[in-house]
Amino acid sequence: MDTSTKLRLHLRIRPSITAGVSAFVLVALLFAGCAVRFIGDYDDTIDKGVTDIQQKAEVYFSKLQSSPNTPYDQDFYDDMNARLAVLKSRAALLPKYPIILEQLSNLKSQFDTFQKLDKASPRPFPSVAVTDAESAIAVSVESILKLELALKDRGKAPPPSLTKGSK
Amino acid sequence: MALDAGMLADQMLGAALPILKKHAQDAESFAKAEFTKIAQTIVSIGEQVAGGQINQQQAVLLLNMQTTASRNVLLCLKGLALLAAEEAINAALGVVKTAVNAALKFPLIA
Repeated sequence: MDTSTKLRLHLRIRPSITAGVSAFVLVALLFAGCAVRFIGDYDDTIDKGVTDIQQKAEVYFSKLQSSPNTPYDQDFYDDMNARLAVLKSRAALLPKYPIILEQLSNLKSQFDTFQKLDKASPRPFPSVAVTDAESAIAVSVESILKLELALKDRGKAPPPSLTKGSK
Repeated sequence: MALDAGMLADQMLGAALPILKKHAQDAESFAKAEFTKIAQTIVSIGEQVAGGQINQQQAVLLLNMQTTASRNVLLCLKGLALLAAEEAINAALGVVKTAVNAALKFPLIA
């Protein structure tokens, strides 16, 4: 089969595939028996847990900035790791939560990276580096909280629920 | 009364589009603010290396943190997009509920 024949065949088949998929989605939606839901519900524990983590991190960053000779503090990282492990376990168990689980893993990865930097850096610790690290962690925290708050707002206008055919 | 697919589609689109637009605007302003912060920090890292305040190894670690922050912004946008799609579909179904249920003579969409 030459290229132009293949192309003609492709162009003929493609609209019918698209129409078929669309029809399937529509039928699936109409007979699903419940409102459409692609992502899990707001979780207060994750919202507050992430806020607590940021608050504790801010205390450590402020200390490093105001006293650049502050020694490396393993307890701070142990605390962050424990808190993030708990939140990740919770996110892993919540239905339709892979996005927030991945965000929490990324946040942990940022703390791991900062730990390496903190451990390897001689004192006085460069305060500008603290500002940059703080900003990166703040962006991640805001990304998680933004999504959580959007999930919290979702319930304000209840979506219609669908029923299966009546008997 | 027979259902008119074209009319239903118009009504559904009319209900879904404002929701999608609102979510898109919200996502855009969030992405703009967050990527601006990341861009400023990348510039700052470059200046610190040039000024000798941090070494290259420290710069790599700081940049790594910014890259991860970008991933989290994109994940947030993905979540917001799912929410937008969900709300748009539910609104689209909601707006044709009465007509569909009346035509079928049973509450298909409750």
